[in-house]
Amino acid sequence: MEIRIEDRIRREVTPERTEKHGDDTAPKRPDIGQPKPSNPLLDRMKKIDPDQAKKYRQRSGE
Amino acid sequence: MEPILCGLETEYGLFVNGKGAEDQIELSKALVRSYPDECFLGWDYSSESPRADLRGFQVEKLQIDPEDAKFDKGKPKSSDSKLRSDRVLNNGARLYNDHGHPEFATPECTSAFACAVLDRAGEHAVRRAATRFEETTGLNASLYKNNTDFHGATYGCHESYLVPRSVGWDSLVEAVLPMLVVRQILTGAGKVGSEGGSDCRFQLSQRADFCETILSADTLFKRPIFNTRDEPHADPNQWMRLHVICGDANMNLATTARKLALTKLAIQLAIARRAPKWSLKTPVAAIQSVSRDESRKFQIELADDSFTTAYEILESYFEAAERQGWLKIMASIDSNVGGDPYLIPFTELQVIPECRVLLEMVREFDPKLKRHVDWAAKLAMLESFVEQTDGKWNGTQLRSFDLEYHNIDPNEGLYSALIESGEVDDTLMSNESASKVLNFFPTQCRSEIRSYALHHFREFIESCNWRTITFLVGEKKICVDLPPNWHGTVVGRDFSSVESIIDWIRGLNGN
Repeated sequence: MEIRIEDRIRREVTPERTEKHGDDTAPKRPDIGQPKPSNPLLDRMKKIDPDQAKKYRQRSGE
Repeated sequence: MEPILCGLETEYGLFVNGKGAEDQIELSKALVRSYPDECFLGWDYSSESPRADLRGFQVEKLQIDPEDAKFDKGKPKSSDSKLRSDRVLNNGARLYNDHGHPEFATPECTSAFACAVLDRAGEHAVRRAATRFEETTGLNASLYKNNTDFHGATYGCHESYLVPRSVGWDSLVEAVLPMLVVRQILTGAGKVGSEGGSDCRFQLSQRADFCETILSADTLFKRPIFNTRDEPHADPNQWMRLHVICGDANMNLATTARKLALTKLAIQLAIARRAPKWSLKTPVAAIQSVSRDESRKFQIELADDSFTTAYEILESYFEAAERQGWLKIMASIDSNVGGDPYLIPFTELQVIPECRVLLEMVREFDPKLKRHVDWAAKLAMLESFVEQTDGKWNGTQLRSFDLEYHNIDPNEGLYSALIESGEVDDTLMSNESASKVLNFFPTQCRSEIRSYALHHFREFIESCNWRTITFLVGEKKICVDLPPNWHGTVVGRDFSSVESIIDWIRGLNGN
């Protein structure tokens, strides 16, 4: 089934709260940066022995 | 215009931890014998004639690779059946050991798409054998559907096409050779570096480095583009087999189908005496130069010292098919079978529009090409890795990635990871697809009869091969020929006895 952009459900966007409560000394969430999306391909490539092709020896076939 | 029977034989690379190439024959035999599913033991070798040459003579001796000869020195020779350990699978395919490589030969079929699916069935079959082998031996086996060990040893993915002998061997070669030089731009599996000749960073074909001549009966040493073994697997007075051994083993199912379809297109034009005329100056050198041309100009020198390109040669085949009115025929067949690609025998015509689009992508180096063509998928994967890491093209490491692109274990192989990541369009690769694909069998050609007989009358079959089935009825051996130009179906038939199917097959042959 094809889903078009205009068919998507529209949701109201809640505006960010801008007013401040209390002072700036309250504990904050540590800045751990944006979590990087996992890349299954890159993950699998990193697990491969870089010398695998060097070790790979075969008899000649047809 | 008649459908052309074709089949693929793929030799797999086999790597077992702690073992070397000197152990490979024993390991490959053991792996094939580990095939866990129902199969038939009784391949009939009587119609094999490896030294008969299509050019009308007998070859005195077939050459062997001197490196491999060292492994075999002093070892006793065993019989064909012990060495090859043939298994005939329920779909009519053949699984066996060939010179230390597990080899899967698809049952013959008319649709290139069907043949590609059966080739995929081979991946599942070989992997199931490997899993049982690992369970029983405690060894760890990796299987690679590629064509090189990067140290100068190659193994093949051979194509067979059954062609009326009346076409003439020379005419057939003349018509198909230019296609084999150029089709790699849409069908190559891609390779990091070179093995022989000038160095290169990346090339389109795995096999190009190993082509040394145009025609030869040899397959193990000084390999040709066409193997000239005269072994049609059908009545030799009527048929010859075009045996192409310069092609790559493809991971991408659509690329496999395209490889077969393009070759069949050239054969159909040879049969119709309408193939485009190209006289290449040095066809073997051209295969290698096209493979290594990262500029994608793909210039090819002609016998009169002028130049053409791979694009022009491919387009000349498409135009020749158009001039024959074949694309209109194709449209009507397509509507008759509801667009089901597995029921269309003339896939050589169906691929023309797709190939024209892909050729434009090759010219522009369109990133979407990687979704459809093996070499482009591999190159994009390698370049992306280089970009995301240290920016250096490290040939040693990238060759390991090249190898692992061809690992047929969906949990380990990089081609499977590309499918998972949505980078490549392919299906039927996952473990979940295995039983579906292994239960797929060809229809509307002679291998359907082999498959049916194995399923329903196995206890009466003494042996079989591509051409014949030998039944044992009481004390009597009855050998019947499977007609290569039969395109009916056994679906809906009900044979009450083995005698009834024997009579029916004989009737198909006009006996």
